[in-house]
Parts: sequence; structure tokens; C-alpha cells
Amino acid sequence: MKYIIETDHLTKRYGANLVVNQVNFHVPKGKVYGLLGRNGAGKTTAMKMMLQLVFPTGGSIRLFGKDCRDNAAALYRNIGSIIETPGFYGNLTGEENLKILARLRGQFSKNAVLDALEIVGLNKERRKIFSDYSLGMKQRLGIAAAIMHKPKLLILDEPINGLDPIGIWEIRTFLTKLTRDNGTTVFISSHVLSEIEQIADIIGVMHQGRLIEEVDMAELGKRSRTYTEFELSDGQLAVKIIKDHYRDTNYTIQDNTLRVYGSNHLVGEMNRDFALNGLIVTKINPREENLEEYFSKLIGGGGIA
Amino acid sequence: MLNLILCELLKLKRSKMIPISIMGVLSTPMLMLLEALQTHFDKPELAFTLADIYKSSVLYSMLLTNMIIYVAITAFLFSREYSENTLKTIIPIPVSRSKLLIGKFCALLLWILALNFVTWAGIFMVCGLYHIVFTLEKYSFSSAIEWLPKYLLGGILMFLTISPFAFAAEKTKGFVAPVIGSAVIVMGSAALANHDWGAFYPWTAIFFLVQGKINSNGYITALSIIIVLLLSAAGFVLTFYHLKTEDLK
Repeated sequence: MKYIIETDHLTKRYGANLVVNQVNFHVPKGKVYGLLGRNGAGKTTAMKMMLQLVFPTGGSIRLFGKDCRDNAAALYRNIGSIIETPGFYGNLTGEENLKILARLRGQFSKNAVLDALEIVGLNKERRKIFSDYSLGMKQRLGIAAAIMHKPKLLILDEPINGLDPIGIWEIRTFLTKLTRDNGTTVFISSHVLSEIEQIADIIGVMHQGRLIEEVDMAELGKRSRTYTEFELSDGQLAVKIIKDHYRDTNYTIQDNTLRVYGSNHLVGEMNRDFALNGLIVTKINPREENLEEYFSKLIGGGGIA
Repeated sequence: MLNLILCELLKLKRSKMIPISIMGVLSTPMLMLLEALQTHFDKPELAFTLADIYKSSVLYSMLLTNMIIYVAITAFLFSREYSENTLKTIIPIPVSRSKLLIGKFCALLLWILALNFVTWAGIFMVCGLYHIVFTLEKYSFSSAIEWLPKYLLGGILMFLTISPFAFAAEKTKGFVAPVIGSAVIVMGSAALANHDWGAFYPWTAIFFLVQGKINSNGYITALSIIIVLLLSAAGFVLTFYHLKTEDLK
């Protein structure tokens, strides 16, 4: 079994609306797979299909090398999940909520419940009524519910929503530890690109229901492009000069800011030509595209979130 | 299965619906006390027994107050998983959708039976107060206990006719549609309670069944039972089918 999660042309259609379109995920064992995409890209629906909350209209899902519909009870006992804001019973305490989930799973152990609460830092608030929890505490309880049975696979949809920076750091450290020490596989989506960048081994990008990129972080590092940013007195004239003298050069222009990609060796000559044509160059910055810029470009601008 | 039922009951811990539903069903004993006092002062020559009070109370409990309350608790049990967003936490555990519903229906039946017991006990207690002050003929525990099986049978029959409201709560993911529905059926029950045709209206048919009135109305008991069972089966099938096939968006 190479992949813990493997989908084959996974599709979900609501009437005429194609929400997930023939997606093929490949999530290797023991890795953190970060799923990125804008709102409505289909990330949550894809995760819900993996958890049998939503029924696919096409394709298949293999979990731990087996079709998810075969022996689902045994397969899903090895999975922990959070989908969006975790739901719990408002009239019960955090501890009581976890006990109910453990009983439903048929694996009730008071120690497991208490350990999970301690990991997420809720041991002092375990007797507090859930409806009195803050958003961050609710999210922590969701994480506790997802990990208390020591799953081999975690499917986490926006798990750091509502967490403060320290909480985010704690969860990130915990997830990293889980994969390193226990070999747990994590399939995580987030709007916070920098968080995914810090923990993911593989990144998948969904856009308009399609998986448009699935790439190893190391490979991604190699693809990151460097560019030089010029701030000039006349952007249009600068473009004309580039078109006339540097035809094969990739560039973008926004107002009077020109970005020239992958032509570092030509920066000096360009600067000279700009000056000879009467342009005033106020700034030249060598830069490297970050993950956010890379994916913004990939999905056509506008940012991931 | 026992675990699922236990979990359903645990989910009710500290729930405000418990005291609200108990207070609600205690309205029937209070109404019976008021009726007894009114009779005592308006028509002092009229003698009535504990059995008479129990007999009148069945009308209130099965057709009016308790039915509305049972629809409300059904709506609460079946819609709360949507309103509290808990299905997406429970289903991936995994918990079979069918078993989840069976657990809920079992918890609902237990709750209804408990509330019918509370109503029965409440009547016995308020009649005890009346008995202390004014003396109620044939007031005894043995007389009261004869009505307990009828109350429990009434609870089971009410449970059977309530299944369509579970579907309505699940489908609409809230209280409003089932509660409006309960108002409609209660109006229907009020209109048909004194008519023979009530034997064909499931919610009055169960009242006639408990009162043993169907044969005396000239209709066949089995026909009323079939109507109640058909309604019940439709409610159960729709509830199970809906959740089994629903995408939890």
C-alpha cells in the first residue's frame, strides 16, 4: 500500500453544479498533505466524501489501500477528523462530549479522553459546558476528538480556525510530532498558506473543483521563480523597451512597477537601456516568489483564501 | 445498540428540554385538578371517582397537551444534530446512520413513556391533594395502577403516530415545521374526538383504541390499527431513507 488516501476521478455534482471534478488525490503514508484552494474550490466537499458525509456522484476513494465502502467500520476507526467548525452538544462539558464520542466508537477509555484533553490544553476546562467555550477552545476540543483514539490518518479541514498564534504553534508542533513519532498521515486543508508551508510534505491545489496541482514541497522549492522588480518613472515605456530589446523575457507590469522573471543576468543591461531612454529607475529589488504568489498565479490571481 | 441508546440519553444531560417537557406534561394533572374543583363547586351533587378523572385525562394527554410536547421533543431529538452540527462529528466515527436513528427512536420511546408515567403519577398526586381536602371517591393506589398500563399503551401508540414528525424535523432541520404540524393535527383531533370518524384519523384513533371506543362506534378495531401502523411505517421509512441518502453539506 503506497497511499493512505487515493482517489480515482472523484466527482461530486449538485444538479448542474460540478463541485468536485474528477479529482485524483495521492496521499502517501506518514506524510502531511496540505490541501489549498479558494473558498468554493471543493476542498471541504472532497474531504466530506472521504468521510462518507457526502456521497460521490462519480469515481472512487481508497483508504489504507481498500475501497472506503468495503468494511467501512474497521477503516474509519483508524481515522480522526475535523470538518469546518467542530460540532458538539452544547449542554455537555468538553469531557462528556468526548466520552460520548468514545462510547459511540466502542473504544471508551477515560484515560484516552483525559490525555487528549491535556494534549490540546483543555484539561483545566474539561468540566466547562461546551456552549461556554470560546471559538479557540471549541476548535481545540475538535482536535482532541480527532486524536483521542490515536488514529493512523487525520483528515482536518481548517483545523486552526479560531486559534490564537500560540495555539496554532502548539497544534503545528503536535501534528509534526504525530507524523514523525507515530507515522500518522495527515490530510489538512487551510486558508493560512504559511501554516501549510511549514508543515506539509506535499501540497495539492484545488480550483473550481479540480485538482490543478499536486506537488512535493521539495520539488516546489525548485520551481519557485526569482524575479527582479524595477520601480520606474514610466511603466509603459519600460514595457516597450522590454518588447523591443528583450523579446523572450517574461515580465509583468503594474502601474510603474515592472517584474522581470528569470533574467537576473540581464538586469544591468536593462537598467542601462531604461536610463538611455530617459526613464528614471528609483528602485531595483531582486526577489523570490513565495508560496502565496506561486499559487495566486496558478489559480489566476486573487489569492488562495 | 444499547450503547447508542445510552449515548442518546447521555446527550440529554442538563438539557432544558427535560424540565420543560416534565412541566408541560404536568399541565394535564393541573387541568384535571381545575376541572375537579370546578365540578365540586358548580355541581356539588355530582359524584366522581379517581377512575373518572383518569378517563377524562386521557383526552387531554393523548389528543392535546402531551401530543404537542411529544412532537416538540421529537423535533428536538432529530433536529439537534443539524442545529448543533454534530452529525459531521458522529458519522465519521463511524456510526451507522440507521443505527443512529434507531438509537434516537428508542430514546424517544423511553422519553414518551417516562412522560406518560409522570402524567399518570401527577394525576394521582393532585387527586391525592383533592382527596385530602374534599374527599375523592374510590381514591386508591390500586385504582390508579389500573390506568398505568393504559397510559403506557397510549405512550406507545403516540410514539407510533409521531414518526412523521421525526422526518419533518430531519428534513427541515428544525422545530418550526413539526410544531406547526402538531398544531394542525391537534386541531384535527379536537374536531374528531367526539365523532365516530375519528377512528380513521390516526391521532384520534389511538385515543379511541386506549378508551376501547372503536368497536362501540361500529368500526373494526383492526382497521384503526392498520391506519396507525401505515402512518407510522411511512414516518419511519421516510426518516431512515432521508438520512441514509442525505449529503451532509
